[in-house]
Amino acid sequence: MRGKGIHTNDPHIQALARIVGGEKSILYKKEDLLAYDCDGFTVHRHLPKAVVFPKNTEEVAAIVKYCHEHDLPFLARGAGTGLSGGAIPLNGEVIISLVRMKRLISVDLENRRAVVEPGFVNLKLTNSISDRGYYYAPDPSSQYCCTIGGNVAENAGGAHCLKYGVTTNHILGLEVVLPNGEIVEIGENGIPDPPGYDLLGLLTGSEGTLGIVTKITVRILKNPEAKQTVLAYFDRVADASQAVSDIISAGMVPAALEMMDQTAIEAVEAAAFPVGHPKDIEALLLIEVDGISAGIAEQIEAILHICRQRNVREVKVAQNEQERARWWANRKTGFGAMGAISPDYLVQDGVIPRSKLPEVLQQIQQISQKYGLRIANIFHAGDGNLHPLVLFDAEKPGETEKALAAGSECLQACAAVGGSITGEHGVGIEKKEEMRFIFNDEEIIAQTNIRDVFNPKNLLNAGKLFPTPGRCVEVKKG
Amino acid sequence: MSLRESDIKQGPVCTPGSLGNYLWNDLPDPNKWADCVHCGMCLESCPTYEQTGQEQHSPRGRVHLMKSVAEGKLEINEDFIDPIFACLDCRACTTACPADVDVGGLIEEVRGQIRQAIPLTGWKAFVSKFFLQGVFPHPTRLHALGNLLKLYQKSGLQKLARKTKLIHIMPQHLADMEAILPEISEPVRKKYKHVNVIKAKGETKHTVALLTGCVMDVMFSDINEATIRVLTRNGNDVVIPQNQTCCGALHVHAGDRETGRELAKQNIEAFQHVDRVIVNAAGCGCMLKEYPELFRNDPVWHEKAEEFSRKVEDISKYLYDTGYEIPKAQLNTRITYHDACHLAHGQGIRQEPRAILSSIPGVEMVYMPNADRCCGSAGIYNITHPEMAGAVLKSKMENVPEDVELISMGNPGCMLQMAMGVLKHGRNQKVVHTVQLLDWAYQKEEGKEDRT
Repeated sequence: MRGKGIHTNDPHIQALARIVGGEKSILYKKEDLLAYDCDGFTVHRHLPKAVVFPKNTEEVAAIVKYCHEHDLPFLARGAGTGLSGGAIPLNGEVIISLVRMKRLISVDLENRRAVVEPGFVNLKLTNSISDRGYYYAPDPSSQYCCTIGGNVAENAGGAHCLKYGVTTNHILGLEVVLPNGEIVEIGENGIPDPPGYDLLGLLTGSEGTLGIVTKITVRILKNPEAKQTVLAYFDRVADASQAVSDIISAGMVPAALEMMDQTAIEAVEAAAFPVGHPKDIEALLLIEVDGISAGIAEQIEAILHICRQRNVREVKVAQNEQERARWWANRKTGFGAMGAISPDYLVQDGVIPRSKLPEVLQQIQQISQKYGLRIANIFHAGDGNLHPLVLFDAEKPGETEKALAAGSECLQACAAVGGSITGEHGVGIEKKEEMRFIFNDEEIIAQTNIRDVFNPKNLLNAGKLFPTPGRCVEVKKG
Repeated sequence: MSLRESDIKQGPVCTPGSLGNYLWNDLPDPNKWADCVHCGMCLESCPTYEQTGQEQHSPRGRVHLMKSVAEGKLEINEDFIDPIFACLDCRACTTACPADVDVGGLIEEVRGQIRQAIPLTGWKAFVSKFFLQGVFPHPTRLHALGNLLKLYQKSGLQKLARKTKLIHIMPQHLADMEAILPEISEPVRKKYKHVNVIKAKGETKHTVALLTGCVMDVMFSDINEATIRVLTRNGNDVVIPQNQTCCGALHVHAGDRETGRELAKQNIEAFQHVDRVIVNAAGCGCMLKEYPELFRNDPVWHEKAEEFSRKVEDISKYLYDTGYEIPKAQLNTRITYHDACHLAHGQGIRQEPRAILSSIPGVEMVYMPNADRCCGSAGIYNITHPEMAGAVLKSKMENVPEDVELISMGNPGCMLQMAMGVLKHGRNQKVVHTVQLLDWAYQKEEGKEDRT
């Protein structure tokens, strides 16, 4: 598209350009780098030193080796849809973009697994195998564009992880470039419990601080024989929460059990995929059950019964695939839809015991009032994974800080009832201070010690996941 | 092209003020980027992101850069211009966006700023001026160009050029274009110059006006003829206002919003006495429907543009909504359908053309994956960015099913590009306009089996 050649005297840029094969695979001018100053978490912005686009594992390893030898900070990036800032170049990193490594390497239906490159988009895997009756279960809302490499880094969840588990439950093997440029393979071809430490479990969800994944073997599943989806409108959020508890305690495990509150409904109805939800309800539930055909109808009947007992205003079952798809598009684009009612938003990712839902939602309401900022709630109610969306306007002085403080208080409320500060979005930059709600200093040091084994120079994605070391160092000395 | 101090005019030229480093008249609308929360749901919809994997060539990246200029973080310079002009303006991101961010509208507004800040120079300026200002807005010149092409084809010059390989002195993409030039015939605007109303067959149910378009009428006047036949067959009197002009889409895409406004005004006036304006070119239809955007700062013309845009409809949707006669003749053909960007993403028209095609007896519709993915034509993008347009076309052709005879669509730019795709990628499909297929069926029914 643009003029040929590398126009800079920076020897690092020239060396990196040589590794990836020239100017079409490296960005280093401010105008281009600006597009990489943040990911889906827009509160912090930093320019990278460069963005490189390797084509294969060897190029990734060569880039990493170069950075390691020259003490250049670096990090990996996929589609940049992360919500906690995991791909933001806090230290002016060299960004290693993996989006050009986007091949589906192989599909092995007999053994129910597929091998993909890290830049392969989540939904494309399901789309590539659905005609043969298979799918890939983890379905983060950004699955239309997020990469499986990014999903591994963040241990991404999704609406259906209530029944099917998060990314880590679907990873069978990884090829990883370690922070010194060494290439290793972990995972034993799908052996459920390989001898030795569970390194797959450690790497998955390490938020890009232990290594860069360059090849991923994932589990694929057979499409469920039957699937039914229910939409229920509640006048009171307490009734909706109680219905969620009732469904779970009745022994059912729906594939998905999602809730949206009134502010969230206002946003999705003002955005691109409206369904026609009533504006005056306090909450809606989107419930999906799947599995073998026998028993589905009974489960749906039981769910309808519970909803009615909990004073549901209206409850309906999707009549066809189009209707179901519409409901899900409305739900899955919920975060982006906030743009329709607010210039900026900040999404939190707390987890609480289901029984505490009404109580914590009440507290979130109070936090909203305290800061004078609206908070919408879209969440995976079934597993108590809350997503309070703090709406704000970054252009208004002081409002970003207020939003951050409000978000932090929401997490504190979750931690206080015995919950956690993240369910699926990762800690990143956003919640690293909030890690102190969960871990004491010794526990944090124990974990950074593990990081140091893999990443001793701390050049790879430094400053993420754990609180800034200041206080920890003091403890160490003490 | 390097940027010199003297190239930059000292702005602002006129009110209303400036916006960061946007200093010129007709400022971009900040509300458009305020809706973007950087979620990234647009990435996979974008053909240039698909090709490059680079976020400055993605919708959210472009929005981010355009906003950065307004925030004063970035200046309007060569490196900013590149991603903004590399956008195909295909609007696929608008469909994908959860918050309805009007990326296409923003791109056009910012291109307006760019072209005022850094006017084109040299060869590019000459070509742009010659075609956009010198030819398209002037029907007689356009027709003259058509006659030249016709002469080139009929005189044996085309054969000679091809035979002597003289054709190879042209840049490859222009030579490719030459190869797929349709046979030029008489523009309908000329043909019906002295006809006030082309009467409906049978009882008149509606009176509609036809936008003849510029490329359409010169390159594809047979499609305009087919459109008129289909309309009259279905009870429509057709008028062709003679003072209508080019819709201005190419100008607005190129950042020449001033000429765009002049053309818009002329069309608004040309069609003021009709209730319906029928368009058979998706790019033109979308532009006409978006005229109000050009007059955001001019309340008087804004209102006129609003009123005008409500009268505009694409031929396929018009036929579908008002009813059309299902042809009785069998066509016996397997076809696939390509969504023109400015029909699907620009106007939300997807099902209507498919419904019309499926209703023709003997037409078997074969599904095309990613049918609403841009073909790379994008106005004159295939001339300004041949490399990217070629890559986008290649992806498109990979999705065209092997076993079909025809590829149907609703936009002349796509037709030329897809015809080029067929040629370059060794395929054997014919490219047709949706309305042509309906016309053929009617013709066959009437015993005139003339597939032009």
